[in-house]
Amino acid sequence: MTLNPVATSQNSAAHGTADVIVQVKDLVVRFDALQGKVPAVNGVSFDVKAGKTLGIVGESGCGKSVTAQSILRLLPSPPAKLVGGEILFRRRTGEIIDLAKLNARSPEMRSIRGNEIAMIFQEPMTSMTPAYTVGDHITEAITLHQNVNQREAKKRALDILNRVGMPQPARTIDSYPHQLSGGMLQRAMIAIALSCRPTLLIADEPTTALDVTTGAQILDLMESLQAELGMSIIHISHNLGIIAEVADEVAVMYLGRIVEQAPVDELFNSPKHPYTQGLLRSLPQVGERRRLEPIRGVVPEPNAIPPGCAFGPRCPKFMPGKCDAAIPPLIQVGPQHSTRCYLYEE
Amino acid sequence: MIVQNLKKHFPIRRGLLKRTVGYVRAIDDVSFTVLAGETLALVGESGCGKTTTGRTIIRLIEPTSGEITFRDDDGNFSSITKLEGEQLKAFRRQAQIIFQDPYSSLDPRMSVADIVGEPLQIHETANGGERSDRVVQLLKSVGLQGDHLRRYPHSFSGGQRQRIGIARALALNPKLIVCDEPVSALDVSIQAQVINLLEDLQEQYGLAYLFISHDLSVVHQISDRVAVMYVGKMVELAKTETLFNHPLHPYTEALLSALPMPNPRRHRNRIVLMGEVANPANPPSGCFFHPRCAYAKDICKHDQPAMRELEPGHFVSCHFAESLNLRGIDPTQPA
Repeated sequence: MTLNPVATSQNSAAHGTADVIVQVKDLVVRFDALQGKVPAVNGVSFDVKAGKTLGIVGESGCGKSVTAQSILRLLPSPPAKLVGGEILFRRRTGEIIDLAKLNARSPEMRSIRGNEIAMIFQEPMTSMTPAYTVGDHITEAITLHQNVNQREAKKRALDILNRVGMPQPARTIDSYPHQLSGGMLQRAMIAIALSCRPTLLIADEPTTALDVTTGAQILDLMESLQAELGMSIIHISHNLGIIAEVADEVAVMYLGRIVEQAPVDELFNSPKHPYTQGLLRSLPQVGERRRLEPIRGVVPEPNAIPPGCAFGPRCPKFMPGKCDAAIPPLIQVGPQHSTRCYLYEE
Repeated sequence: MIVQNLKKHFPIRRGLLKRTVGYVRAIDDVSFTVLAGETLALVGESGCGKTTTGRTIIRLIEPTSGEITFRDDDGNFSSITKLEGEQLKAFRRQAQIIFQDPYSSLDPRMSVADIVGEPLQIHETANGGERSDRVVQLLKSVGLQGDHLRRYPHSFSGGQRQRIGIARALALNPKLIVCDEPVSALDVSIQAQVINLLEDLQEQYGLAYLFISHDLSVVHQISDRVAVMYVGKMVELAKTETLFNHPLHPYTEALLSALPMPNPRRHRNRIVLMGEVANPANPPSGCFFHPRCAYAKDICKHDQPAMRELEPGHFVSCHFAESLNLRGIDPTQPA
């Protein structure tokens, strides 16, 4: 389904500046579970600018991976259901298309997935088919989206393996996933993702399963490839340290909502939402040894989200009668800094 | 506890006759001491032998060679390397372990009362009403309620399960607890709760911890001294602040520089190591780290450096430890 011309022009206006590659508006994703309908993502909005990195940070179950997978329409339905919202993606042609309205299996979605938007996953070991070689994985992506023959595809695959710094690419291209280490597999994953030169790369905890020094190699690689290819990145992580290093803008999620969003320096230097502040205070920091101040309590089950502000019961600045009455709106606290908290109400 | 020249080599067996074709040197000549009431951290990447070390010193894995001595209640040091039967059981009262994965280390078919009470039952230290009182007391000391007694592990969150594992380890009043990545499976906000709990319990009961972790910021928070391991060998051991501020081994320097810090202003000049961690079944010649080391010279390819005490309490195994001027962590570093 393509948008009609009128809708397209309206969307361009909504985009504001032309440098926004994807704009997510009021995204709602629900899971039909035994306990009833569980809202995993509840009204999430953000922009990703061309060539920039948006970091999404949050604890397990906050909906960060679900958000990312909905952009690519990868969530199995049922149980997941994209209930509302828009995902406005600017294609290479300049056309703006609402991915939320596409059928996940439609030709348009398929021509975008893996081609214009690519993804790398947390566990490189389980994200590849063990019966196919690394080269097979890459050439599949290339022949699917580009009009080239097998031989040319293999040449391009070798080229991209070289570019991601794979040791001995000529040999690795015929290796099976089990023959490679975690770091090499993650390089192979990045090679698959970049094989069609995507304009948007979604990286879901790309270094979490790797060792510290290997993770550092992968972060460096992603940074240099971004500079070279000019793609935008959505980097999802639970690790605030990694987000501080890679992101230009950061969105903090808690129980399916973005609670704070700001440029990276502002978020880490003057966090506004009590949840962001709590996360930073509970983090052990090298250089200053002090008693950690954990956030009290635990993240509630997604089918028992508290009324009003979901962070209320754990919040040190909880205001009874206010925070538990209604969900706080996103309040602008700086030019590009917004937070969902009544403390900053005018 | 004193550990001397500990080695654990796992045989690699191949073929019909299961002939031994080689050994994985999981731990190769590791020596250290754990003082009463202190936290010694073992850090390193996967496969460096830190977990094997932790399990070997409490005899969950039998060492290939080496000597482990432990101070008993009377203050006498005795070897625990050859203990058997009742004597080994008596040692187990002194040394306990907390595992990484709170999901697989608790039996799903046992209630919390049974899990925490099992050590008391096996060691016959408390029975009947006395035992259930002790279990309730243990649960309270780790921040759980007495009414959690009859519940089963599946009804608890990751952080609560880790608390149950801690209560079980505390049941026999041990002096040493091996903590094998106790917080790495937990979310940030819960991780801080468990770290604080471990610090409180240490103060309250005078526990010594051998804290195994790959996360340097957690290690910095909790430990008094840090030992860095690489491919089965200890490469550096020092007081926490010394190790973080003035590392003497190039591998430690690289680990520190790779540490992501939640401070976007920090100047990023990571030392990115080339290549991969060496295979402990077929380690490189000389210093195991030389193929990845930026400072390696010819001698590093042939001679294995010995562990030397360069400054009081600061041990390092590098030929050039004196001459290298390595970079530690400086959080105040300007952008």
